Amino acid sequence: MATPVRIRRQLPFSPWLFAAPGLLVTGAFVLYPFVSTLVNSFTDRRTLLPGHFVDLANFRELLHDDMFWTGLRNSTLYILGVVPALVILPLLLALLVQKNIPGITFFRSAFYTPVVASIVVVGLIWVWLLDERGLVNSLLETVGIGRVGFLSDQWLLLLSAMAVTVWKGLGYYMIIYLAALANVPRELHEAAAVDGAGPVRRFLSVTVPAVRSTMVLVAALSSVAAFKVFSEVYLMAGPSGGPAGEDTTLVMLVQRTGTGLTGRVGYASALSVVVFVVTVALMLLVLRADRRDES
Amino acid sequence: MSVLEKVRPEPPVTVRKEPRVTDEHGRRIHVGELVWRYLLLLVVLALTVGPFLWQLSTSLKGPTEDIYSSPPSFLPARPTLHNYTRVADTIPVWDYALNSLKVATANVVTNCVGSALAGYALARLRFRGRRVTTLAFVLAMLVPVEGIVIAQFTTMRELGLNNTLIGVVLPGAIGAMNVLLMRNAFRNLPYEIEEAAYVDGADVWQRFLRVALPSVKGTLAVVAIFAFMGAWDDFLWPLIVLSDPSKFTLTIGLNYLHGTFANDERLVAAGTVIAVAPLIALFACLQRYFFRGVGEGAVKG
Amino acid sequence: MPISRRALAAAAVALVLPLSACGSGGDGGGSADASGKVEGDITFQTWNLRANFKSYFDGLIADFEKKYPGTHVKWIDQPAEGYPDKLSADAGGGTLPDVVNVSPDLVAPLARAGLALDLDKAAGKYKPEYLDGAWASHQVPGMSGTYAFPWYLNTGPLFYNKALFRKAGIDPDQPPKTYDELFADALQMARKSGGKVATLANVPTIEDFGRYGVTLMNKQGTAFAFNDTKGVALLTKYKELYDAKALDPQALTATPESSGKKFLTGAVAMNPGSALDLDNFKKNAPTLYRNIGITDQITSTGHVNMYVMGVMVNSRTKHTPAAVAFAHFVTDAQNQMSFAKKVAIFPSTAGSLNDPYFTKEDGTDETRVRIAAAKSLKGAVNYTPVLFSDQMKTALRNEVAKALQGKESPKQALDNAVNAANRLLQQG
Repeated sequence: MATPVRIRRQLPFSPWLFAAPGLLVTGAFVLYPFVSTLVNSFTDRRTLLPGHFVDLANFRELLHDDMFWTGLRNSTLYILGVVPALVILPLLLALLVQKNIPGITFFRSAFYTPVVASIVVVGLIWVWLLDERGLVNSLLETVGIGRVGFLSDQWLLLLSAMAVTVWKGLGYYMIIYLAALANVPRELHEAAAVDGAGPVRRFLSVTVPAVRSTMVLVAALSSVAAFKVFSEVYLMAGPSGGPAGEDTTLVMLVQRTGTGLTGRVGYASALSVVVFVVTVALMLLVLRADRRDES
Repeated sequence: MSVLEKVRPEPPVTVRKEPRVTDEHGRRIHVGELVWRYLLLLVVLALTVGPFLWQLSTSLKGPTEDIYSSPPSFLPARPTLHNYTRVADTIPVWDYALNSLKVATANVVTNCVGSALAGYALARLRFRGRRVTTLAFVLAMLVPVEGIVIAQFTTMRELGLNNTLIGVVLPGAIGAMNVLLMRNAFRNLPYEIEEAAYVDGADVWQRFLRVALPSVKGTLAVVAIFAFMGAWDDFLWPLIVLSDPSKFTLTIGLNYLHGTFANDERLVAAGTVIAVAPLIALFACLQRYFFRGVGEGAVKG
Repeated sequence: MPISRRALAAAAVALVLPLSACGSGGDGGGSADASGKVEGDITFQTWNLRANFKSYFDGLIADFEKKYPGTHVKWIDQPAEGYPDKLSADAGGGTLPDVVNVSPDLVAPLARAGLALDLDKAAGKYKPEYLDGAWASHQVPGMSGTYAFPWYLNTGPLFYNKALFRKAGIDPDQPPKTYDELFADALQMARKSGGKVATLANVPTIEDFGRYGVTLMNKQGTAFAFNDTKGVALLTKYKELYDAKALDPQALTATPESSGKKFLTGAVAMNPGSALDLDNFKKNAPTLYRNIGITDQITSTGHVNMYVMGVMVNSRTKHTPAAVAFAHFVTDAQNQMSFAKKVAIFPSTAGSLNDPYFTKEDGTDETRVRIAAAKSLKGAVNYTPVLFSDQMKTALRNEVAKALQGKESPKQALDNAVNAANRLLQQG
């Protein structure tokens, strides 16, 4: 896209001065610890016992660990379930709150509350609501559908967790879309309206192309977050990951194997490395799709 | 979700009245459209805010009320603020809140300043290693934090910063994600403004402070809210890095309400309301600015 | 190629590991000798006791400092959640407090990493002050020594909902006394309520296998053995209950809190608990409280299960005499007794359970529960093996779930769980 301004009135080191604080913090507290994770992934280190170099044993063990494949499956399903919803629903919501009708600021703020509330609180509330005797099931029973085991069935649990993720993310992505929509020239809509295009046609032929790059951004952010999902599933399915651990996600597995006084730090590090590699690949995939679309 | 389907907006009945409501472009909005818009807004409102009201209601229920009755009763029979005073009696909730406020405020300042600076460098300044630096931030954003907490603690201890509030703030002080958000915001600014300043003889700091920064207020607001939220809600890291209870933050403090020997649901509910309320209040205060700022087009891919 | 890669990685390990070195390094030594003068500043860490017992601990510390001038105790209390993570970070970072509140499963890894002081050596003279079973609960198989003072004990009865019993046609005054009766009543409850009311809310844990009479570990303590016929029999029975909805359908995902709530809401008819719960019922579910029935824990071994809390001394403490003296002070008969009067827990000191407080009825439910529990504690056992780590618990839980869902036979599931636990045991 744009090229940086040619700058002569600039001391040679000033870009580094600008970037230094950020680099320092990220380097010391994110990248450096991750290097030690990388190194640990080749050892059999435990929380309180130093490890020995074991070559690729941890990675070989991964391949034979059923729980790893369960985790990979669930984290992948999470992307498939959550990302389309988070790309589309917040856009519709943004269109809904875009017009300055009376009271709209109230609605915008209210829609944003799930984003600001801590995930622990959110998890507590939803477990409370979706419980077999909770509010939702009481409603379903009065309507005549009967009670649904949102928190006991393997798939419903995963689905419920996804719903909470979407619910909590709606407001956040809504804002991102609002910003993008503000940049869509009014004339485009008006021209389309004059051409006799209905709201659906206008949405597909004017709005969507105009916010396409934002949709890609949302897809990228939400898919990385979805793949690394931990809290929602942990809070709803419990620490052991639902019935028979079938709802375990990869990051839950990292947490479960690696933490506590008896944690297998080496093996958990290997899992972390896999998570990292997959998210990097995901990011590249989305960005590449974006570039191809653009050209 | 089923609720959404059930409450499909009905076709408007009366469209006679002269509509006086206009949108931001001064165009009139038809009453029919207005009705279904409000209907939809109310449905979404119930879905997003309802669960919090439920929690609020539980926290207001008195000691004689059966909170486990089935079907659950939504409104407290005799609302009382007693549970809130009990929270304050059980734990020094104001001290914890003050610590949280310090940590969250510091986090907002460092993130806004740090990521604006770095984002500007990445977007607008030309230097060797720019691509590598960008890559470093992208990779940092992707690192799964669950795997590095203990290593972070070791680093912090080597710096002698464990058991300090600075130690709580530092690892998230300049989030990689925020840096990238700011970079995108700066990149989307038209070059012409800065070029004018450049011609006027402004140096890089002046252009940054006087020209570029004021144009990305919206993204700064996003960064600020997220920095505040992140610090306010974090549990595991402050727990690990702090040992002295007098330095505990609110999320840790509120965890004491989950008693070893007995759990009091009303107390927990009151605690969660205390934890969420400041965030909602903060957001309500900033929201006007926040939405306007965001509308400036700062957050864009 | 492989050699150079190996060498490179090994070099990297050598470079980075010392930076994040942990546990068993030789830095900063304390001594195991507790015989010196009791003085210096020590730190005492408890686990989620501040909110309700602040004044008790403030008083306790003041008494200790008065008794031993020249000492100063700083009290830290950690919240309920994340305690093992907090201990891990502190143990790895060399910032573990001098005196730490632990449970047997937490003390085992700390002892193996050389971080817990052997009290048989440093404080063996205090041993006779405690119940034998309690003292032994902080010993680690494969190591000689005892690594924490026993602190408070807890056990409790089985609560049941008389109204639900009545509705299902079970005599509310004849609660089940044996496992067979329990299973029969549970099936009847499920049948009569159309599967709406379960009797049990939790899948069997290692402790349940122990109470059922299953041999959990081999004699040497080197391998797990709960996949014997008795273990399989228990799990087979649970499968039958699960299929009949006599075991709550949400049991596979239940936590102690969630099953407690189920009992409160009347979705489950029985729940293990302690005297503490009575107060909770009274406050949170007055309807249930009017119908509460109390009966003894069911066990095939004649020994009920108990939970033990301990107080360990950091082997690296700079003030070993003061730390040992304080750990003993916290857990001595007098202080445990006064703690027991504040909250429904039981002292682990010999003879304390004969105090009139634990033997004399006064007509209230609380006292009745307390007396029954104190009586049963004399022969109680902490069934959970100290080496049974969180990872092992998860492995067992998941295998049990597979058996209940019918994905594996009970035998197969227990074999898998035993193998997984043994593998983890060898690695640790």
